[in-house]
Amino acid sequence: MGPRRILALVADAFGSEGGIATYDRNLIASLASCRDVAEVVVVPRRGKSTIKLPPRVHQLRSVGGRAAYSLAALWAARSHRTIDIVFCGHLYMAPAAAAVAKIVGAHLWIQIHGLEAWHALSSPYRTSIEAATLITAVSRDTRRRLLEWVAIDPGRVKVLPNTLDPRFQPGAKSRELLDRYNLHNKKVLMTVSRLSAKERYKGHDRVLRALPRVLSQHPEVMYLIVGDGDDRKRLERLATEHGVDDKVCFVGQVDDQRIVDYFRLADVFVMPSTAEGFGIVFIEAMASGATVIGGNKDGSLDALCDGLLGKAIDPESDEDLLEALNSALAFPSGYDNQVQRFSREMFADHVVELLSQVFPLH
Amino acid sequence: MCGIAGIYAYHYAANPAEREELRRIRDHMSARGPDGFGEWFSSDGRIGLGHRRLAILDLSERGLQPMLSSDGNLAITFNGEIYNYRQLRARLESQGHIFRTDTDTEVLLHLYAEKGEAMVNELRGMFAFGLWDAQKRALLLVRDPYGIKPLYYADDGWTLRFASQVKALVAGQKISTNPEPAGLVGFALFGSVPEPFTTYQEVRSLPAGSFMWVDRIGTHDIKRYFCIAEVYRSADAQKPRRTNDEVQATVRNSLLESVQHHLVSDVPVGAFLSGGVDSGALVGLMRDAGQREIQTITLTFEEFRATRQDEAPLAERIAAHYATRHITRLVTEQEFREDLPKILDAMDQPTIDGINTWFVSKAARELGLKVVLSGLGGDELFGGYPSFNDIPLSVRLLSIPGQIPWLGALVRRLLGGFAHGFNPKTASILEFGGTYPGAYLLRRGLFMPWELEGILGKEVAHHGLRRLDPIRCIGEALDPEPKSSFGKVAALESSLYMRNQLLRDADWASMAHSLEVRVPLVDATLLKQLAPLTGQYARRSKRLLANSPRLPLPNEVVERAKTGFGTPIERWLRRDNRVQRWKQIPALNLESCPWARRWAVQLAPA
Repeated sequence: MGPRRILALVADAFGSEGGIATYDRNLIASLASCRDVAEVVVVPRRGKSTIKLPPRVHQLRSVGGRAAYSLAALWAARSHRTIDIVFCGHLYMAPAAAAVAKIVGAHLWIQIHGLEAWHALSSPYRTSIEAATLITAVSRDTRRRLLEWVAIDPGRVKVLPNTLDPRFQPGAKSRELLDRYNLHNKKVLMTVSRLSAKERYKGHDRVLRALPRVLSQHPEVMYLIVGDGDDRKRLERLATEHGVDDKVCFVGQVDDQRIVDYFRLADVFVMPSTAEGFGIVFIEAMASGATVIGGNKDGSLDALCDGLLGKAIDPESDEDLLEALNSALAFPSGYDNQVQRFSREMFADHVVELLSQVFPLH
Repeated sequence: MCGIAGIYAYHYAANPAEREELRRIRDHMSARGPDGFGEWFSSDGRIGLGHRRLAILDLSERGLQPMLSSDGNLAITFNGEIYNYRQLRARLESQGHIFRTDTDTEVLLHLYAEKGEAMVNELRGMFAFGLWDAQKRALLLVRDPYGIKPLYYADDGWTLRFASQVKALVAGQKISTNPEPAGLVGFALFGSVPEPFTTYQEVRSLPAGSFMWVDRIGTHDIKRYFCIAEVYRSADAQKPRRTNDEVQATVRNSLLESVQHHLVSDVPVGAFLSGGVDSGALVGLMRDAGQREIQTITLTFEEFRATRQDEAPLAERIAAHYATRHITRLVTEQEFREDLPKILDAMDQPTIDGINTWFVSKAARELGLKVVLSGLGGDELFGGYPSFNDIPLSVRLLSIPGQIPWLGALVRRLLGGFAHGFNPKTASILEFGGTYPGAYLLRRGLFMPWELEGILGKEVAHHGLRRLDPIRCIGEALDPEPKSSFGKVAALESSLYMRNQLLRDADWASMAHSLEVRVPLVDATLLKQLAPLTGQYARRSKRLLANSPRLPLPNEVVERAKTGFGTPIERWLRRDNRVQRWKQIPALNLESCPWARRWAVQLAPA
């Protein structure tokens, strides 16, 4: 293998928002920074390529439909001379990526983000995964769940965690936001996530249920629910039912530019979720200085470093949640530099190491 | 002989290795090493090694492990014996290496410094170790050629843990205990769990005769450095023309050399003695090797006293023949009932056998022995099993009808469906009997693959069969395929039954009593010397073994041994009202059901 040429098949990358797009951008930029990578050719499903691209990254125009996308990917593989590695940024594109890799004789590398790989998929997906040289999963939990339904040497499945955007740092609470939400002299409890009826596993219900008892010990608490979605109305009703509607504030969708300011408002960040692939919000909250409470049944354990960087509780136990909330509000642990283990530098180093060890140059 | 453990937090995001967890893993294996314990952590806390010691070579404190190289660059935790360590040491000293102890452990450190991973090809013995190379920031895990010593690891994607026992890893409390369907299916098919699987998804066995590097990206591909099938394949290519006397002399010399190596010890070495050829010949060879005082031990069972099933009289005859100090240890049903919970507790992975070894090891330890020789492996090496005839015959007769698509499955469905209670193996004969892997499954199989749904449930059976792929799993023992039928069967028996069942049982059942069992007939060097000969002498090859001691085994031993002996353990289990689980499965309630199937269901993890 000479300097490697990588074809990256991704849903969104440069020019898109969202967690997966960010992850893919970081990964592609890290790959392109390797000395022995000649070029990374990106074929996105969506998004525009107006954004400035890192050196040696070439992003083609996005292609929608599944069949058209597969053809575009193959065309890209054929027309960009030798492709050594086909990187597949989402499991749903794995069969197409596996086919392209096979046709052009390249290694296959599949990225797994979370829920999509937690349950057995049909045989085209399974055989694509089993054909991959390398699979990277965002967390140990996601890796383990994948290994439950694919028959593959576990050594080929590595963990490549989400990374922390350096924007997230501790800082003073924004006076403007304190005014806007009337938070002076309040302790702020916060959850940040989509409010989707399909994602009720995030655990807002459980926090709302615990809130009356939390307030009896910490009457100065306000619960800020950041994010929006089709479940918001139901959650608002639930807050009323629990008699805490005056202590809960539905902030709605927050502009990405301002999200750091919101995290800095939080004294305690809580999300007793049962189905996180990784839970990037935990590390963002931690890096912004909040004390964090999350679940111990999923990828959250990675973000919480098994409880070293926050409290990992049984997310479905009301008692555990109540105890954790009371204790975090009474004794906030504050910022811990250990969260920097998720820095982009560590991630990039690891990507370079994976690339050079798993796909050695001959 | 010892228990080893380690935790390597290899991933950048992982928490450092935790001391308390390492101690929990290590101290779960206190029976493996009652004479001492130790732990070592790197200065950055990313790796910790632990050790429980059974002191056999260099009994002083200097032999404690984990052991570091004098420059501090290497650290090792090691379980087993390197029988050629004195030769290796002499060579290393001549190359300028300076030794601080008289242990084989230190030889490993120097040999690694000299040769790197290629060291594995020079080791004669039984071993499993973890060696940390601080300069490479990498951990090397190694297991002996035959897999006599166990080595299990659990990799969660951030941290790799390893230990000599699966239950020790579980005792660390940090690994997932989600079940592995392939391990459960493997146990139901074979009566023991086939490597690399265990009953837990996250825990794997490092395969015999292989090594693996772990560094900051985690595990690297496992590299195999020894393969039994390959030895037979290359042996089949040789056609040594020798007279009978020359062959006998070669066999004797090779066996004697192996026994001499296996006697290296700073404590007395005894022997398990049955009424059979294998252990009897070993005792004779121990005398030839110069050992004067030999303590031998035989089991006898109350109910079999003075019956043809009792091997004690013949063992006593052999003991007298070689003038050993001999003990016949009586096992009663009462003792068995009392020990059964302890046996199940010590059993590291489910296995339908090993109870005999439990009692004979217990007897050895009662006599104060720390080390014994066992004749394990003689049937594999010298073709002692009926399978050496039956499997090639089955393949000859059935290979052509077996190739007709669907015929085998159709016959099995008809027989299995219409004739309730039809022997499942007979029903499967056309489906499996025409190939070596298939015929082997028929021979050693406890249940047939199509029966598993009724035993394990549909989902576990389905997933497990897909993940294990039993015929492929058996077929791997024949890669590369030996030419001779003897070589094929020997490779199958040694790589599957002996490795996954006999050697595992010998390990857990003896280590539970802090006893080291050495197996001179399970030795890679010996195999390379004998493989070109044993196949040619297949029918008489046990006689080659019997005639190897200067004072050959009495003829009556060779003749009597062919019909075998028994134990009443099955009868005791039948009477034990703690063993009831099988009654819930209709197929096991048939009068004709072999007891081993019921016992397996009792032992299978729920």
